[in-house]
Amino acid sequence: MKPFDERLDTALADDNVRTGLTSFQRGWRESRDTMIGALEEQEGRSFDELRQEFAAIKDGVRDNWDHYIDRFTANATAAGATVTRVGTPAEANEAFVRIARDADADLVVKGKSMVSEEIGLNHYLEDVGITPVETDLGEWILQLAGETPSHLVMPAIHKRKEQIAELFTRVLEREFPPDDIDRMVKVARTELRQKFLASGIGLSGANALIAEGGSIMLICNEGNNRMSVALPPVHVVTVGIEKLVPTYADAMKQVRLLARSATGQPITVYTNFVTGPRPGQQQHILLLDNGRTAMNEDPDVAAALRCIRCGACANVCPPYGVVGGHAFGHVYTGAIGLVNTEFHHGIEEVAGPQSLCVSCGACAQVCPTDIPLPMQILEIRQDVVESGAAVPGGRIAHLGIGAFGHRRLVDLGFRALGIATTPLRRDGVTKIPAIIADREPFATRVGWRSPPAIPVRPARDTLKRGKLAEPTPLDAQPLAGRRVQLFLQCLSDRMAPEIPIATAKLLRAAGAHVMVPREQHCCGLPAYDAGEQDAARDMVRQTMQTLEGIDDVVTPASSCLAMLKHDAPHLLRDDLDGLERSQQLAGRTYDLISYLTAGPGRLPAGSLDNGDRTPVTVHRFCQASNTLGRRDAIEQLLRDVAGVPVVPLPEASECCGFGGSTSVRHPEVSAGILDRKLGCVDRTETSILITDNPGCILHLRGGVHASGREVRVLHLAEYLAGRLPDATSADGSPDASTNGA
Amino acid sequence: MNTTTAPNLLQRFAARVTEASSTYLEVAGWQQVVEHAGGYSEVVAIAPSLAAAQPEVRELLEAAGVRVVVPDGDDPAAEVADVPVAIVRAEMGVAESGSLLVSEHALGDRVVTMLCHRLIQVVAASDIVDRLEGAAEWLAARNGQPGFASLMTGPSRTADIERSLTIGVQGPDEVDVLVLTATDPTATTEDDA
Ligand code: SF4
Repeated sequence: MKPFDERLDTALADDNVRTGLTSFQRGWRESRDTMIGALEEQEGRSFDELRQEFAAIKDGVRDNWDHYIDRFTANATAAGATVTRVGTPAEANEAFVRIARDADADLVVKGKSMVSEEIGLNHYLEDVGITPVETDLGEWILQLAGETPSHLVMPAIHKRKEQIAELFTRVLEREFPPDDIDRMVKVARTELRQKFLASGIGLSGANALIAEGGSIMLICNEGNNRMSVALPPVHVVTVGIEKLVPTYADAMKQVRLLARSATGQPITVYTNFVTGPRPGQQQHILLLDNGRTAMNEDPDVAAALRCIRCGACANVCPPYGVVGGHAFGHVYTGAIGLVNTEFHHGIEEVAGPQSLCVSCGACAQVCPTDIPLPMQILEIRQDVVESGAAVPGGRIAHLGIGAFGHRRLVDLGFRALGIATTPLRRDGVTKIPAIIADREPFATRVGWRSPPAIPVRPARDTLKRGKLAEPTPLDAQPLAGRRVQLFLQCLSDRMAPEIPIATAKLLRAAGAHVMVPREQHCCGLPAYDAGEQDAARDMVRQTMQTLEGIDDVVTPASSCLAMLKHDAPHLLRDDLDGLERSQQLAGRTYDLISYLTAGPGRLPAGSLDNGDRTPVTVHRFCQASNTLGRRDAIEQLLRDVAGVPVVPLPEASECCGFGGSTSVRHPEVSAGILDRKLGCVDRTETSILITDNPGCILHLRGGVHASGREVRVLHLAEYLAGRLPDATSADGSPDASTNGA
Repeated sequence: MNTTTAPNLLQRFAARVTEASSTYLEVAGWQQVVEHAGGYSEVVAIAPSLAAAQPEVRELLEAAGVRVVVPDGDDPAAEVADVPVAIVRAEMGVAESGSLLVSEHALGDRVVTMLCHRLIQVVAASDIVDRLEGAAEWLAARNGQPGFASLMTGPSRTADIERSLTIGVQGPDEVDVLVLTATDPTATTEDDA
């Protein structure tokens, strides 16, 4: 396989990849959601309950792995199969060739098998003079094209029909019109039928190994897998040991989740249970380890062994939608590939692909086996950082995070930057001089997003006691007598001070006594996201120290809340005292929206209705949806409390592309995700985009400005503060929205 | 499994079968199955296991002037290569998914379901179960034997090219699910329960 950088460049240069995958992801999402909804109704249980039940079955197997492997082996052997355990890809390939030589076979028909890709079987066979023929349509297309799968389930999804028609026309030497998909599909039947009948070995993977009877469960839609298993005189199964389930009934639970998650079908056309060879046939089962045992011994990633290879985690992944599986993954693509590649193919192979993850959390929402993928990917990222493997932007990130740990240094730096860039400040952005801006690679890499204006004074200065005018109190005073510690969020404090300032105003107008602890800095999320967990732990601890006490803590940044609630306990899992303190802090910390809707600051309906009915739309910060489980709280608040019409944003919860460090490491990928987001905003035909995470806001504002769109991007606090009785005179008004310095 | 089938079970099964792009039909007995098959082709393959268990199917077909192929020789694939229509008997139907559980251990049994264009799957109404667990029980009771059982749900399909659905790829492109409903003496002379 080519190096990661090359794969990424190729993907980014091919417009087909992005256009094709965006429409694939959208179509899949619709069918999958419908199917999962129907399943919940049929079973009378939630998706969460169903997937947890199945996950527990898979975990139970791994807790007694040897027992189940032995049981499977005994039963399969009794049914006439030969079961061989193989450790490495080399061992697996050698074992396969031995079987082929014994059977005197030089043609192998292959049903879809990811394990055969994992061990690089095709290359190995070709080198020793055995011809492998892929029989799954997608795999066959790729074999003709000399490519590898870019998706676990839809291997050729990165290819457009025009490319496939061109390929068939060239290789099969007859005309294939691109619009006649039917003809392209059916040619596989005629071309492959002879191969099935002539081959000496049929190879298949397995979707499950059923210990109870020694059976292999094998699913497919086309019917090719059945033929690979049935027709040749020798059937070889290549399968990872993680595929074990105890019973047939357990396998049925997998069936219920698998096809719905994979292709949005209730069940695949064929679900085959193969137990031993047919009369007159031999069957060999190669049980592959290749890092699986090691994975099981690492508690941070062991749950990834539940994977049933449905591909759902790729289908919702924003960077996957931009670059496809050749860059987003190694042999295994999508989110799961960013985890298991380290164990199956080594840390160097995962170093590049993992840097594409935006930590949006979408994969964990749809994974039918409930694997905490985002957290696992960050563990892998930390391994990569520690290993010193080459990763895009690695050194700069390391130095940057190191420096970012020092609050005073950061303070000084931003103040200096603010002064230095004062002459360049225009319309809330920093105008880069044309002499730099028009140059490559700057133009392509950075030109799509105008950098924010950096204020000379951070929010903490403006919020010093007595500096901000007393706001006119609202009629409703839900926060009367309450003391609130405001956690500014490191970015907003220095790059978008209007956000914490508006938050303070709003809370004060609702009756709160707002305090701004001076020593506060950063919750640690940027460091955690960069794979620098030691630095992250230091920052979490520092934050816990500055926010000591019993008062409510409110932050305008939902990302910090996600960090404190969700990630800090994970980071501090070995520090019991720290863990307890982080949980106490998380218990009294709110992001603004939850404080105003579910927390003590509930505002009565209509209390911020100033009569303005200009419609707005809402981007739901991805982690708030995926990690904190928030749904339409912002939309509801806007409708009820502000009285404003809200136009639903298509794909509202999808990442905007900011994605922590991704927009720095991989600007083109980030730009692609942003483009999809802004395209959705265009479809709402609104001119006000509201959201509540400062990172998203800076990113969206930069993209809106650079693309010349007429859309104002506002933090919820700014929008609401703009509707306070004395708003027009204050710098929290919408007019001062874009960095009102 | 000889209890009478609850009507809503049959209805659900019918709905799922149709959703899977198969044709659903209730028939009174094998005579009707034969007429159905004969309507499509003058040559019909029947699975060797069906031919052995219910010889009357072959007799009825031949009586109707249909040439019958039972692929039980040395090269079953070659025997059915050009036969467009095949009949198999399913062990059970699953209402939840509209699937038919077909046991096809011998190569002759397998080739008929793989290589023909129109596959006629016959199941007794009394063999329709509610959930996939019914199929799991069947498999568990036999420890997976005789060795190859498939839950089949509709004609073969693919969406590998731009996620565009095409029916009929490498396996059958038409599947007719025929449910034997009647207690007509020629209907189900054999029932394994
Ligand atoms: S990790 Fe989950 S979503 Fe991804 S392929 Fe595996 S089972 Fe499917």
